[in-house]
Amino acid sequence: MSEQQAPGTPGNGQDDVTHFGFRNVPKSQKASQVAQVFHSVAGKYDLMNDLMSMGIHRLWKRFTIELSGVRQGHQVLDIAGGTGDLTMKFSDLVGPSGKVVLADINASMLQVGRSRLTDRGYAGNIEYVQADAEHLPFPDNSFQAVSIAFGLRNVTDKDQALRDMARVLKPGGKLMVLEFSKPTNPLLSKAYDTYSFTALPLMGQLIAGDSESYKYLAESIRMHPDQETLKSMMENAGLVNCKYYNMTGGIVALHVGIKP
Amino acid sequence: MFPGPTLLSAASAIVEIALNRALELDTAGRQALLNALTGPAQFNINAPVPLTWTLERVGEQVQVRSQPADAPELVITGRPMAFVALALGDDRVFADNRLGVHGNTALAHQLQRALNQLEPDWEAAMARHLGDLPAHFLGKRIRSAVQWSRQAASAMNANLEEYLHEESQALPGRRELEATFQDIDQLNLRTERLEARLTQLESTGSDNDTETL
Repeated sequence: MSEQQAPGTPGNGQDDVTHFGFRNVPKSQKASQVAQVFHSVAGKYDLMNDLMSMGIHRLWKRFTIELSGVRQGHQVLDIAGGTGDLTMKFSDLVGPSGKVVLADINASMLQVGRSRLTDRGYAGNIEYVQADAEHLPFPDNSFQAVSIAFGLRNVTDKDQALRDMARVLKPGGKLMVLEFSKPTNPLLSKAYDTYSFTALPLMGQLIAGDSESYKYLAESIRMHPDQETLKSMMENAGLVNCKYYNMTGGIVALHVGIKP
Repeated sequence: MFPGPTLLSAASAIVEIALNRALELDTAGRQALLNALTGPAQFNINAPVPLTWTLERVGEQVQVRSQPADAPELVITGRPMAFVALALGDDRVFADNRLGVHGNTALAHQLQRALNQLEPDWEAAMARHLGDLPAHFLGKRIRSAVQWSRQAASAMNANLEEYLHEESQALPGRRELEATFQDIDQLNLRTERLEARLTQLESTGSDNDTETL
């Protein structure tokens, strides 16, 4: 397994490359390679999430919603919203007087999300936007809450993305980053590594017919900044009161920061 | 720290589903509870593990959160047994400070009334899974068992009270005790009056002395 690297300083130290799993690729190519992964898995995304996490991803997302403080009439941005798990809950909370924007860079994921939410009767207070987290097409100070769940590790320039998320937040608004992180228990860490590098690609092959995408998932998790590093990245992006909550032994962490 | 966020979320999800399912079985009770929930109500359980639960109306559902609300309209703090007593309709939990209330106290009483009025139709819920006849049969048995246990508990209390007061004479009778307390109250009142009278007489005496000088 690769060692954790500082953000923005991939393996060979050159500025024009970044990591794609354990491989280094030119920065200009990462977005398209990530897009390929998600085009490939979009159809089976929800099923695979349930299988891989044994359903626990629903609890991680529930905790994010509980901590969001989102209320009736709020404007919420759900970046990398994918198939709309968080958007659905936010839509209930903001009610008809509020608005939720589901943004995803990937057209396939956005399409799956739009179909799923519409089929479940969610309409009227949800807007769908195909957008890059590094360059959000929204004015400054637009949202009371911004969330990104299991999306930040796929972003090429995480610092730029965090800065842009902070920009679109209203003062006092909350940024929530739900992402895989570093298990706090060494024993759990070993078991988790074994599971990720053997079971995940196998499940991907059997269910979604694509083991490479799930190999990338396991690798990208290891390359993602750990809890403390991400916290300091959020502080550098201009957020205050930054803290994180380890979930399921640190396999996943929810980082929260407030725009001053 | 135990319990972690994942467990807390699981618990809040279970409570939320159970509460909303129960409310579906009593539409009038649900409406009363939803109307009472004009803002987030936060419950702080301070022992054995400090926990915070928040109830909030979201549309026609009650949302249960394991996190404090940003701006709660009502905060109730106390031990788990006091919350159980509140849920079972004990209206003295606020008066005898077993539960502390901050914020909208009227909302606390409204919530308590709404909880007491809840009468979910469990038989209808069972009938959906078991069929009408088995559900009715089970419902009758459960109702009579509940009634019997209530009667048994009340009879046992009465018998115990009678034994302690009348047979063993270990404790004075309720009426005897009430009469004694009433006498003590009267004595207290009279002593206070006497004290006030003496103070008044003393001050009148000192005024007269000053005038004489």
